[in-house]
Amino acid sequence: MTDVPFPISREAVLRRREDPSLIGHGAHGPRDIVPGAGHGETGPASKRVIVGYGFWIFLLSDIVMFSCFFAAYAVLQGATAGGPSARDIVDLPRVGIETGALLLSSFTCGLSFAATNVRNKLWTQVFLALTALLGLVFVGLELQEFIELAARGATPQRSAFLSAFYTLVGCHGLHVSIGGLWLATMMAQLQVKGFRHEIVHRLICFNLFWHALDIVWVGVFSMVYLMGAAA
Amino acid sequence: MSHLEFDPHGYTGSLDHREDHAPGDAPEESAGHWVRNYLLGLGFATALTIASFWAATTHLIWGPAAPVAIVVFAIAQMGVHLVFFLHITTGPDNTNNVLALAFGLLVVFLIFAGSIWIMNHLNSNMMPMQQMIGMQR
Amino acid sequence: MFGKLDWSAIPITQPIPMITSVVIILVILGVLGLVAAKGWWPYLWREWITSVDHKRIGVMYGLLGVVMLIRGFADAIMMRTQQAAAIGGAQGYLEPEHYNQIFSAHGTIMIFFAAMPLVIAFMNFLVPLQLGVRDVAFPTLNSVSFWLTASGALLVNISLFVGEFARTGWLPYPPLSEGTYSPGVGVDYYLWAVQISGIGTLMTGINFVTTVLKMRCPGMSYLRMPMFTWTALASSLLIVAVFPILTATLAMLTLDRYFGFHFFTNDAGGAPMMFMNLIWAWGHPEVYILVLPAFGIFSEIFSTFSGKPLFGYRSMVAATLFICIVAMMTWLHHFFTMGAGAAVNTAFGISTSIIAVGTGVKIYNWIFTMYGGRVRMTVPMLWSMGFIFTFVIGGMTGVLLAVPPADFLTHNSMFLVAHFHNVIVGGVVFALFAGLEFWFPKAFGFRLHEGWGKAAFWFAFIGFWVTFTPLYILGLQGMTRRLQHVNIEEWRPMLLLSVVGVAILVVGAICQVIQLVVSILQRDRLRDTTGDPWDGRSLEWATPSPAPFFNFAVMPNVEGEEAYWGIKQRAIETQQLAPEPKYEAIEMPVNSPVGVYTAFFASVTGFALIWHIWWLAALALIGAYAGFVVFAWREVHEFEVPAEEVARVDRARRAAREAALARMAQAEGTAS
Repeated sequence: MTDVPFPISREAVLRRREDPSLIGHGAHGPRDIVPGAGHGETGPASKRVIVGYGFWIFLLSDIVMFSCFFAAYAVLQGATAGGPSARDIVDLPRVGIETGALLLSSFTCGLSFAATNVRNKLWTQVFLALTALLGLVFVGLELQEFIELAARGATPQRSAFLSAFYTLVGCHGLHVSIGGLWLATMMAQLQVKGFRHEIVHRLICFNLFWHALDIVWVGVFSMVYLMGAAA
Repeated sequence: MSHLEFDPHGYTGSLDHREDHAPGDAPEESAGHWVRNYLLGLGFATALTIASFWAATTHLIWGPAAPVAIVVFAIAQMGVHLVFFLHITTGPDNTNNVLALAFGLLVVFLIFAGSIWIMNHLNSNMMPMQQMIGMQR
Repeated sequence: MFGKLDWSAIPITQPIPMITSVVIILVILGVLGLVAAKGWWPYLWREWITSVDHKRIGVMYGLLGVVMLIRGFADAIMMRTQQAAAIGGAQGYLEPEHYNQIFSAHGTIMIFFAAMPLVIAFMNFLVPLQLGVRDVAFPTLNSVSFWLTASGALLVNISLFVGEFARTGWLPYPPLSEGTYSPGVGVDYYLWAVQISGIGTLMTGINFVTTVLKMRCPGMSYLRMPMFTWTALASSLLIVAVFPILTATLAMLTLDRYFGFHFFTNDAGGAPMMFMNLIWAWGHPEVYILVLPAFGIFSEIFSTFSGKPLFGYRSMVAATLFICIVAMMTWLHHFFTMGAGAAVNTAFGISTSIIAVGTGVKIYNWIFTMYGGRVRMTVPMLWSMGFIFTFVIGGMTGVLLAVPPADFLTHNSMFLVAHFHNVIVGGVVFALFAGLEFWFPKAFGFRLHEGWGKAAFWFAFIGFWVTFTPLYILGLQGMTRRLQHVNIEEWRPMLLLSVVGVAILVVGAICQVIQLVVSILQRDRLRDTTGDPWDGRSLEWATPSPAPFFNFAVMPNVEGEEAYWGIKQRAIETQQLAPEPKYEAIEMPVNSPVGVYTAFFASVTGFALIWHIWWLAALALIGAYAGFVVFAWREVHEFEVPAEEVARVDRARRAAREAALARMAQAEGTAS
C-alpha cells in the first residue's frame, strides 16, 4: 500500500479543471482536490462519510414513515365516535417533563460525541449513560400515560382518533425504546472494543438517530398535545 | 489503495473541513466550539419549547391564531435542531445532506398536505347530513 | 399451543393447490437431495448463500424473480382460461373463493416478487460495474436485503399449502381486508410477506442512493455516469421516499386486524378511504420504481446497437429526474371515482398528463439515437423496438385514463387491466428480457443463442398483443375486472381470442427456456472471450466475462462521457493497451451468513404472527436480535487480495484484449 492520500486520477482531474474551454462547475468550485468532495470526481468517499450519509438517508425514510402516521392523525383527529377527544386526554405538565427529558438527552448525546472526538472513553460512557437514563424517563412517563388513559376507558379500540393517537405517539416511543436497546449494546461494545473505526461510525449513526427522534418529538408534542390543548 | 477501510482522519478525530461529511459529524476546530454549538442549540430549543407551551395555554393570543403560533415555533425548533445539533449548513461540504433533506421534506409535505386535502374533499359530492336525515323514514 | 394452526389448514379438499403443492415440495426435495448428493453445499454456502458480492446477489435476485414470474404466469393462465370457460350457464373450473385468491396472488407475486426482484437484480449487478467501483456502499446489508425478499416470497408460497391467501386483490382494500370480513389468515400472509420484503427493498434503496452519490471511480462526475446508473439512482430515491408509506399503511391495517384498532374500519370513526389514499401514494411511485431502470436498460441498448452515443444525454437525465419528482404527485388518478370532487380530480389529472412529457422526451431521444447510426438488429434490439411500439400505445391509453370523465367510464374495467399490463409488460418485462440477453455474457461468460432468442421475442410480442387487445375491447364494452363468471354472451369471442394469445405467450416462454438450455449446451461455441461481445460503451464491458469478484484490478480514470468507449478508441488507434498499471493489494468485504440467518428468523416470525403463535414469534425475534448482536461483534470485516493475485487476473484480461486487438488489425490488414 502506498502513502499517496489522493487517488491516481489527480492528474486527470487537474487536466479537466484547468481546461479553459470548460465552463460551469470547474469555474467556481474549490480549487483543491479533497477526497470525498468535488462531486465524486476524486473517487469513492471514505467509509466514515459513506456510513454517515447512508444512515442519514435511512433517517429521512423513517421520517417519511412518521409523516404517514401524522397524516392519519390529522385526518382522524375529529373521529372520536362519542369518546374522549384530544382535549380530554392531554396532560400538559407530564408532556412538559417528557419534552425536557428528551431535549436534555439530545444535549447529553451531543456531549458524548464531543468526548468521542477526543477519544475519551470515560466521558463518552458517562454522557451515553445520562442519555439512556433520560430516555428511560421519557419512555417511563409515556407508558404511565398510556396505562392511565387505558384505565379510564380511552383505549385505542375506542375510536379512530384514539387509534391514531396511540399509534403515532407509541411509534415514537417504540423508536426511543429500540434506540435505548441499541444504546445499551453500543455502550457494551465500546467498553470491550474501544474506539475502533466501526464503533465510531456506529456512534455517529446513533447520534444522528437520537437527534432525529427529538425532531420528530417536536412535531408530536406540537401537533398532538399542544394543538389538542389549544383546541 | 483500498477505499473500504481507508479513513485517514479516523485517528485524529476530525475530518478535513472541506470534505463532505454526514450530518452531526461536522469537523470542529475544537471541542469548545462543539460544546458551544450544543449549548446554543439547547438554549434556543428550550426557549422555543416554553414559547410553544405558552402559546397553547395563554389567553393573550386570539384563539384561532394559537395553532399558527405552535406550528411556527415547531418549525423553528426543528430548524434549531438541524443547524445546531446536526450541523446542516449551506457549505459545499454539505450539499448532499441538504439536497437529501429537501427531498425528504418534499415527500413529507406531499403526503401530509396531500392526504389532508384529499380526505377533506372526499365528502364534496355527498348530500348534506341534514338532508339525508330528513330523507330517512 | 399453535395458535390458529391445525391440520385443517392443509387444503386437502382442493385439488389444484393440493396437487401443485405436492409437486413443488417434491421438486424442492429433489433439488436439495441432488445438491447434497453431489456435495455442492459447501460451495453453495461459501460462494452464493453467504456472498456479499453484488454480482452474485444480483444473480440470486434474478433467479428468485424468474421462479416467481413463472408462478405468477401460471396464475394468469388460470384466470384467462377460467373467464373464457365460465360464460353464461357454464361455471368454469375455479370456484369464486379460489379464483379471488388467484387474482390476488397473481398481482402480489408479479409486482412484489417477480418485477421488483428482477429490476433490483439488474441494479445490483450493474451499478458498481458501471461506476467503476468494487461493490455497493453496504455489501452485507445488500445480502440481508436479498434474503428478506426471499423470505417474503417463501411466505407467499407457503400460503399455497398451509392456509389460504388473501382474496382482496393485490392491494387489500378495507373494509373487506379488515378482520370482520376477512377473518382467515389470507390477508395476514399478504401483510407479513410484503412487510418483510418491503424492509429488504427499503435497505436496497438506501444502499444504492449512497453508492451512486458517494462511491464513483475517479473522474466520474454526475454527468459522466451511464444512463442506467442515473435511472437506478432515480428509482432508488423513489424507493427511499415511498416504501415507508407502504410500511406505515400496512402497519395500520395490521393494527386494525390484530388489535382491533379503527384506522380503516366502518365503525368507531374509521376512514377506509384513507387506506386507498395512502396505499396509492406508494403504489403509483412503485410503478415508476419499476419502469425507470427499464428505461435505463433501453438507453444502454439503443446506444450500443446504434453505434452512437445516446442522443440528448442531458435531457435524458433531466427527464429522469423530472419523472422521479412528478411520480410522487399523481397518485389520486387511481381513485378518481372515490369522490374527491372536480378540483382535486382536475389537479391530479393534469399532473398525470404532465408526467407523460418526461417519457415522451425519452422516446424521442431513443429514436434520434438510432437515426444516423448503424443499427444492428440483435435480440436485445428486437426487444427494444417491440418496447417502443408497445409502450407508446400503452402510454397513450394511460393518458386517456388520466382524463377524469373518461376514467369514470373505464375505472376498474378490463380497459384498465389492459392498460397497465400494456405498460408493465411492454415496458418492464420487455426490458428485463432485453437486459437478460444483453448482460448474460457479462454474468456467465457466454452469450445466449440468438435464434431461440428471436423466436422467444416474436412469440412474446405477438402473444402479448393477441392476449390484451381483446381485453381493451371488452373494457370499452363494459366488462369489469376480476370476474369469476361472465354473464354476457357477446363477450365470448374476445375472451376466447385472449386465451389464444395466452397460448402464444406460453410458446414464447418455452422458447425462452429452450434458449437457456441450448445456450448452456453450446456454451463453448458462444463463449465471450474478450468481455466485450457487443462493442459496448460503458465500464462494465471493460472487465472480463464473467467479471472477477473485485471487478477492477485498478479503479479506472474517467475522462468523459461513455467511460469505456474513450479507453477503447484510444487502444484501437494506438494499436495497444494502456501501459500495465502498478498492481496493489485490494481489500474486499468478507462473506457473512447474517443475511440468511436474518431471513430465517424473519420467516419464522412472520409465520408465527400469521397463525397467532405468539411464543414462537417472540422466540424468533429474540433469535434475530441475538444474531444481529453476534454479527455486530465480529472482528474481521475485510480480507486482503494479494497484489500477485490481482496481477494474475488482470494480466489474463489484458492478454485476451491484446489478442482481440491483433485479430482486429489482421482483419483490417493495416496497422491503423
